[in-house]
Amino acid sequence: MTAGDRILIIDDDQDFVQALDALLGQRGYQVLHARDGHEGVLRAQREHPDLILVDVMMGERTEGFFVVQELRRVPALTGVPIFVVSAVYDAAPEFDVPPHDAWLAHDAFYRKPIDTHALLTGIRSALAKRHEAAPRKERS
Amino acid sequence: MTEGLEQGGSVVVIDDDYAMRLSCDQTLAKVGYRVATFEDGARGLEAVGELKPGLVVVDLKMPGLSGLDVIARLHEIDPSIIIVVITGYATISTAIDAMKAGAYDFLPKPFAPDELRLIVGRGFERRRLQRLSQQCEIDRELQRRRFVTFVSHQLKTPLVAVHQYLDVLRQLGDAPEAEAKRREWLDRCLIRTDELRRLIDDWLTLAQLEGGSLGRRRVPVDLREVIPPIVETYEAVATRDGITVAADLPTEPCIVRGDPTCLGVLIDNLVANAIKYNRPGGRVCVRAEQHPGEIVVEVVDTGIGISEAALPLLFDEFFRVAQPGGRRVEGTGLGLPICRRIASEHGGVIDVESTEGVGSRFVVRLPAARTDGVPAQEQPA
Repeated sequence: MTAGDRILIIDDDQDFVQALDALLGQRGYQVLHARDGHEGVLRAQREHPDLILVDVMMGERTEGFFVVQELRRVPALTGVPIFVVSAVYDAAPEFDVPPHDAWLAHDAFYRKPIDTHALLTGIRSALAKRHEAAPRKERS
Repeated sequence: MTEGLEQGGSVVVIDDDYAMRLSCDQTLAKVGYRVATFEDGARGLEAVGELKPGLVVVDLKMPGLSGLDVIARLHEIDPSIIIVVITGYATISTAIDAMKAGAYDFLPKPFAPDELRLIVGRGFERRRLQRLSQQCEIDRELQRRRFVTFVSHQLKTPLVAVHQYLDVLRQLGDAPEAEAKRREWLDRCLIRTDELRRLIDDWLTLAQLEGGSLGRRRVPVDLREVIPPIVETYEAVATRDGITVAADLPTEPCIVRGDPTCLGVLIDNLVANAIKYNRPGGRVCVRAEQHPGEIVVEVVDTGIGISEAALPLLFDEFFRVAQPGGRRVEGTGLGLPICRRIASEHGGVIDVESTEGVGSRFVVRLPAARTDGVPAQEQPA
């Protein structure tokens, strides 16, 4: 892990975010937060987090999956690991629209409540890979 | 007839009698059907696989594959295909067997061209209706599954929050920063479990109202007696938020036949909303009035109002009005669906008018009770 890696959590449940914030904070990560997909995409574009965690069902039923699509279209976020979390959806849910190649473009999926051990392992390994592929630039 | 034509109207005729094939072809082609004829079952079935007709006319008595065999195979190829059998009078009992095997109708020989056209037209109409009803069934199932997903989500969300808090608390252990969090988070856990409890209670209420195990009592209820205790209950909490709640009740009785508990829940939910979606200095007024044949209850507030976009969705399960600045207002999203259900169970309706930033007015109209056998509208006001 690189000290101070920043993780953006896009989730509308403040309590869930608080808990994860404390957990990740204790492990040396810095947590950013957005309450819905729109705010999440704006924040990601502006602040270039090292990893993004997105909830599926926020304002809209499958909002999270659309957020992933949007994030993947942002050039500055190329290669940033995106994890999807949901209490009800599965990793590859049935959709009303046929999934195309880029549809399920997230790197990992975690069911809520999250197995924190698995999440921390997943975050560590995704960030290690990321830093190997693109050594981190100094931030101003 | 036109239904068949709209769908391309492809018909396959299978009959060993050349004259019959020719006559069917001409009769149906004349009114626009696309017709293909075959002299035996085996060839006819082969063609059905390729032509995918909407309807097949088949003679029951043929050398080789019998009509009944053809029907069975046709249904294997396409269960939605409409089959009309042609039969001689001597084989009418076989025609009945054919119907049992799934044929749509039968046509005894000899028949007039119009009879054939009529039966084929009806067959296509039947096919269209079948498809429509299948589509409705699929839509309904999809809707149901979406709803189940949504309800699960609503129920699991507070549970997830509590679980995640407890899980992380355990991991933080005795770290000094954990102590402050522990107190704050345990409070949050209580709030979220309470949210879950209310959600389950409301969900149960709604299910019981729908299932008929709740709200079936019918006794005369004077709403002037139901409203004051509710207003009183909310006075303290309203005053704390700088809101005044008042009842404006007439001197004459406002009697409906109904379930007193449920009618109380209805008014209670409306008053609770009027306070929740209000602001300091705001007012809430509960009115009851006798109109010809009905009792009208109004809950009027000077609150934040409801946007035009939200109004049509307001009585839908789990719909929550988005608050400016993302302010979170506690609630299950089931209060108004419960109100609507109670109103309709009592033969009434609930409606809302609202202007954003000005306030809302919920109106419940319930049939007035007939007292002493005299219709309410005939009673002196």
